[in-house]
Amino acid sequence: MVMATSIKEPGLEALKRLKSTEAPVWLTPNPSLSQTARAVSEHLFASLKPFTPKSPFEKLLTQGFDAEQIWQQIDLQSHPLMSTLRREVKRFEKNPDEISKLKKAQKVEHKGSEGVKGVVEEESDGLDEGLDGFDEELDEDEEEEEEEKEEEEERESEGEEEGEEGREGGIEDGFLKIKELEGFLEDGEAMEYGLKKKGDGLGKKNKKGKESEDEEEDDDDDELGAFELGDDEDDDQNADKMASYEDFFGSNKKKASKRKSEVNDRSEDLDMGDEQEDSDMGDGQEDSGMGDEQEDSDMGDEQEDNGAFENKKQETLSTHEKELQKLRSQIELMEKEDLKQQDWTMQGEVTAEKRPVNSALEVDLEFDHNVRPAPVITEEVTVALEEIIKERILKGQYDDVQKAPRLPSVAPREIKELDENKSKKGLAEVYEEEYVQQTNLNSAPLSFKDEQKKEASMLFKKLCLKLDALSHFHFAPKPVIEDMSIQANVPALAMEEIAPVAVSDAAMLAPEEVFTGKGDIKEETELTQAERKRRRANKKRKFKAEAAKRTAKKPQDSTSLNHDHGKEE
Amino acid sequence: MQSKEAPTSMDVEAVPSAPKVEFGSLPMKPKFKPLSAHEMSDGQVQFRKVNVPPHRFSPLKKAWMEIYTPVYEQMKIDIRMNLKARRVELKTRTDTPDISNLQKCADFVHAFMLGFDVIDAIALLRLDELYVESFEIKDVKTLRGEHLSRAIGRLSGKGGKTKFAIENATKTRIVIADSKIHMLGSYKNIRVARDSLCNLILGSPAGKVYSKLRAVSARLAESL
Repeated sequence: MVMATSIKEPGLEALKRLKSTEAPVWLTPNPSLSQTARAVSEHLFASLKPFTPKSPFEKLLTQGFDAEQIWQQIDLQSHPLMSTLRREVKRFEKNPDEISKLKKAQKVEHKGSEGVKGVVEEESDGLDEGLDGFDEELDEDEEEEEEEKEEEEERESEGEEEGEEGREGGIEDGFLKIKELEGFLEDGEAMEYGLKKKGDGLGKKNKKGKESEDEEEDDDDDELGAFELGDDEDDDQNADKMASYEDFFGSNKKKASKRKSEVNDRSEDLDMGDEQEDSDMGDGQEDSGMGDEQEDSDMGDEQEDNGAFENKKQETLSTHEKELQKLRSQIELMEKEDLKQQDWTMQGEVTAEKRPVNSALEVDLEFDHNVRPAPVITEEVTVALEEIIKERILKGQYDDVQKAPRLPSVAPREIKELDENKSKKGLAEVYEEEYVQQTNLNSAPLSFKDEQKKEASMLFKKLCLKLDALSHFHFAPKPVIEDMSIQANVPALAMEEIAPVAVSDAAMLAPEEVFTGKGDIKEETELTQAERKRRRANKKRKFKAEAAKRTAKKPQDSTSLNHDHGKEE
Repeated sequence: MQSKEAPTSMDVEAVPSAPKVEFGSLPMKPKFKPLSAHEMSDGQVQFRKVNVPPHRFSPLKKAWMEIYTPVYEQMKIDIRMNLKARRVELKTRTDTPDISNLQKCADFVHAFMLGFDVIDAIALLRLDELYVESFEIKDVKTLRGEHLSRAIGRLSGKGGKTKFAIENATKTRIVIADSKIHMLGSYKNIRVARDSLCNLILGSPAGKVYSKLRAVSARLAESL
């Protein structure tokens, strides 16, 4: 600050002015305030300029630019600065000798501490003040300024040491020292192996460390871990632990208190400044409004600030953490559900006893219907059917079942008609005829109606023929009159010769024509068990009937005999 | 006449060719003529007497000559009517050829008395295997009053057509006299007729009996 005032007054004056303005003034857009703010940022930028050789801007262009553009310029300058500063701080952590070298220039340190304080105050102011984008820029600028200053000092001290060595091959410059790099790598390996030895003994912090390790990998800057290691040097347990998320963004319970104590104890304010920067940056990026609300407006009290920071860290987790929490809770819920007794619908094969009464009615059960569903009869269906019916009627196509005409295999036998008139022949003549028929082979039996019937049928056929000839246009030939002649089963020879010389066995009718049985005649070997039983049952029935008849006949015979005797005598 | 003398003379004449009687050998077997009916009964005449029921008296008078002629002429049996005793008497003559003629004639007359026609009864004289069988309705089934009348009516049928149908189908002759039924015919035919009549008595309708008759008669006809 002293240095600054001597060199650049207008900038400092502007800073003072900003500092002096009261909080509510910031709420309303004030052109004078904005001018002062711009002047301040220009001043800071210029002061940091010598430490950024690669910066494209000579000076901060603020006139005619809006907040975003100014911010971008500052950002361009500050990014490389930040990384170099961190590296330097790590280096200092490892090598306390260098710090002692630094201590030679105590003046610088003092300035730095004061500057830090001022930065803190201003930062707090900035955070309090709210929605204006300038706040962030201011904070950033202030932080950068501090970093720049620190780095400057470090570089000076370093330059004293290593300037003699000279530069090798042009690879090394102010920042990159190969020997430092090698030393760093060795330290890193030692740390790793050391951690693994002590891995069992670590408790909660290890878990958190693992989580944060993932995050660390994402980070380009592994040096952030160095800050925490620096912090935990006092704690024996976590001497070799890898940096974790909680180290940076704060575990809500233990770390906060540790940090508090450490921050107070440490002579170096660099770490604290960094921590604050980190937290502020994080907060500023995420939710400036929230930060404003939560933080105290206390400017001078670091502890309160820290407390505020801790509160913030407890309530605001990163998105990843939130997601993980959600997942975990969900998983727990689901596991609990799975372990419970399931509903009967989810239990697989369930009988009626295992489920409540009539419960199957309430559930929609899915099962295969093997029956085709009945067709719904609509008007269209009936109309279609009726049309089909009408068509069929008109065509006369009824699809009636027609009996297949069976060919007569046997010559139609003349059915003997029962004569119900008193026979004109005497019994003697009847028997005489019978006898003659038996002995005389020529004579065939004639039924009484043959002659008359034949005559009548012949007459009728002749008449029909004549009528047909008259009614048809085309010639119809004489129909063949099939005579239904009776084929008597008389030996064939009888028909041919009058006087039979020898008697032949050949009969007129073929065996199948003589055969009167029905269906298949099976031999005994061909019968099935059921058929055999049936035959036997029939036989028994016949036998019983005959036996009954015989018993009935016997008394009859005896009585008839008695009658005869009586009558004769 | 000759019959008396014949045996003795024949006996004597039959043995002239064998005058020698050899030592130890039997005499020749005598050969005899068959005995006549008269000789068989030792020269005695045999009689048969047949009672005449009152309802058959006038038909007998009408048909006497038809009865008398075949009996006397062909069967050579003396036949006479005893009016006082109301019976027909039959007697063998000396020239009756066969002893069974008397019995046949007696059966013939008896059949007429039962109610058969002469022409039907004559078959008895001509054929040996014809028999007369009688039975009563009560032998088959006990029927009284109206049932009996109905059964008789069933047996006869309308105008006797059922009876005639049975007669024609089975070649028998049936006489239904009140509750007595007489059948004339060969043994098998009588059996068929009897079955049909019994079925009718028992109550089966005529149509059923006809169908059975048809089947049976066809079988009978074919079996010849």
